[in-house]
Amino acid sequence: MGNQSGKAYGLTVLCPLRSDAHEKQSFSAAVRARLHALPLDEDSPMARVPNTYLCRLFVLDDVPYQGEPAQSEHLKSKYLVFVCELHGQLETYLQGMWKNAADMINSIWEFCVGFKDDVRDADTFTRYIKKCQVTTTFYFNGSTDEPLAEQLKALYLKQEFSKFVIANQGKSAAEVQRSFAEFVKATEPSNLAGPSWRPGASRLDVA
Amino acid sequence: MSMLDLHDIQGSILKPYGRYGFPKARFLFFRVDDGERGRGFVRRLVSCITASTPWAADGSSPGTPAPAVTTNVAFTYRGLRALGIPRDSLQSFPDEFAMGMRDRRDILGDDGKSAPEHWDPIWQSEEPVHILIWINGQTLEEVDKRHREIRGWLVGDSQGVQELVGHRGPGGRDDLAYQDGSAIYIDGKPSAKEHFGYTDGISNPFFKGMNSHESNVLGGGKVTGRSPHGRDGWEPLETGEFLLGYKDEAKENPEAPSPELLARNGTYLVYRKLHQNVGSFDRYLNEVGNDFPGGKEALAAKFTGRWRNGAPITTFPTEREADEFGARWLRAKEAIVAAPDSAARLAAKKQFGELNAEFTAFDYKDDLAGGRCPIGSHIRRSNPRGSLELGQKGAFDTPGALSNRRRILRRGVPYGDSSKERVDSGDHGVIFMALNASIRRQFEFVQQQWMIYGNDFRLANDKDPIAGNHADAPGKEPDGRMVIQTGPRDTAPPFICSRIPRFVETRGGDYFFMPSLTALRMIGDGSIDPT
Repeated sequence: MGNQSGKAYGLTVLCPLRSDAHEKQSFSAAVRARLHALPLDEDSPMARVPNTYLCRLFVLDDVPYQGEPAQSEHLKSKYLVFVCELHGQLETYLQGMWKNAADMINSIWEFCVGFKDDVRDADTFTRYIKKCQVTTTFYFNGSTDEPLAEQLKALYLKQEFSKFVIANQGKSAAEVQRSFAEFVKATEPSNLAGPSWRPGASRLDVA
Repeated sequence: MSMLDLHDIQGSILKPYGRYGFPKARFLFFRVDDGERGRGFVRRLVSCITASTPWAADGSSPGTPAPAVTTNVAFTYRGLRALGIPRDSLQSFPDEFAMGMRDRRDILGDDGKSAPEHWDPIWQSEEPVHILIWINGQTLEEVDKRHREIRGWLVGDSQGVQELVGHRGPGGRDDLAYQDGSAIYIDGKPSAKEHFGYTDGISNPFFKGMNSHESNVLGGGKVTGRSPHGRDGWEPLETGEFLLGYKDEAKENPEAPSPELLARNGTYLVYRKLHQNVGSFDRYLNEVGNDFPGGKEALAAKFTGRWRNGAPITTFPTEREADEFGARWLRAKEAIVAAPDSAARLAAKKQFGELNAEFTAFDYKDDLAGGRCPIGSHIRRSNPRGSLELGQKGAFDTPGALSNRRRILRRGVPYGDSSKERVDSGDHGVIFMALNASIRRQFEFVQQQWMIYGNDFRLANDKDPIAGNHADAPGKEPDGRMVIQTGPRDTAPPFICSRIPRFVETRGGDYFFMPSLTALRMIGDGSIDPT
């Protein structure tokens, strides 16, 4: 069960890259260029994928040689590596990923072995990813395992509550109660669709 | 006998001069344009450099009498290069020293009004600082005399070594040729106060080989996990945390330049001119102190972890207890002078020593929640005294695992006068000096992780209330925040200080290498050979 920690899932995927070239660039260089062009944070296509805690995409060229007494070894190919921490079941997540980020997937995975032939829709994408999956050993989840929307709401509420405490410090019980009612009304604690942090935000808006 | 060659170690390292009756200080800065002439200047300097050898205090202790004036020296990376240190030696110095303070500004939080473009003109110049010489004196006249002596060596040699100008000073001057520092005088006597009114420089590290009284290990050493009030609660830190060439707390020789003779008995010096916004500080204390239970003085104590008379708030939680302690301490001090014979003097000294230890002999074992000394207070952040490790059973080999490698010797002195007008503008602050074997691991870590960030203390991104670089952009609301915790059995809620403005602004500084006397002679002779 190396992939799971409670309701959190640690996905590790190594998709082999084709070894030939695209427009005078090796496929690995072409994928790298496309990865670098992806927008970040709230604008990242992965921010649209439900329940993404954190994810990373990179190209793995080879394993580095560590020196004697290690042997010089090589990978069979270059790989597109996709590591992702997510909430819930893997299949549900991958379905959601295809549904919300198919354009990005088709562009980034285009040069992976077998991708163009095998992947047409959410089901075939799920099958493809699971075929390339390796077990995540020593998986550590750095946050809780609640759904992303819950976590974003909790962070938002924590921040807003700090402001509430500062604004109401030293006031009478009646006053605090009155402004707490306003606080609840404004922040809608039980409404996940209400005010919250946006998925993908990596820093507070300091403007 | 000390295991250290005290004749070889510069005096500032073992002696906080201010506490040895040297209330006056002056900082001189030089640039070397000609290596050979620069080395000649260094050779002349050697004879007046003050070492760490003990001074006879009252005729009974060993050593020579204290001089009227002390002199010490340190070099920037560019200074060492200008003096002709071989390239192999230069490249063996750590990166942060080679980069210098200006290029480390992001790590240090020198932004807004602390950014280098606001520093004193001497730090703006295209002509960089190479040599720092600082003079400490019993009187200003003695300081001035030594300064003139050094200056005299440069007469007729304007091509070789330049004394650099460009320090801000009183009356809006910004072209001064030196930076003066002085203890703040109260009722005509030098005090240990800084401009915010706190007694400063109380707790300094105590390491193996130090020749000061061994009772200084109380609070100055590293925690052993036993009671902090007794001698067995503390052990001296390893010498290598403060001097190059000795074992450090990781049980290895610290990273040091080559050859070994260049490094041994030397250390790194951080010089930082810090302006203090006394007007903002007073105003904040007055305004927020109105609402704070215990009032303004209690709030001031919560900020730093000490009452303004220096009494630690974790040991003396109320102002009354702190005042009583201060009075007892003063009486004990006076009793030494008033003692009629040597037996009485000895007894009085013993009693004074016990009281004096209470300034430093404490930890936060009984105050983990911060109900007495807030977790985010200045002294608890800068020296957590083992409190980060408590409650983490089995995680660490030693009770001070997270703090023993983050200690710094502080040798600062105030500058300017804020007694007549308590406003932000004007010329008053502190010349902060820190000595350590690794600027990156010690000073920079404390500044970056503990002063301007709060994660290690589970205080999110709250900063040190006093030293934090709180927002100071024009038109922007100050954003400093501090939670003042209450104890686990208190019924009162915690108090949150918000909108704390920036109380301290950086006005310049750099990183220096402070060599041993041996290394200084070799630099002067041009005989450093790393091969």
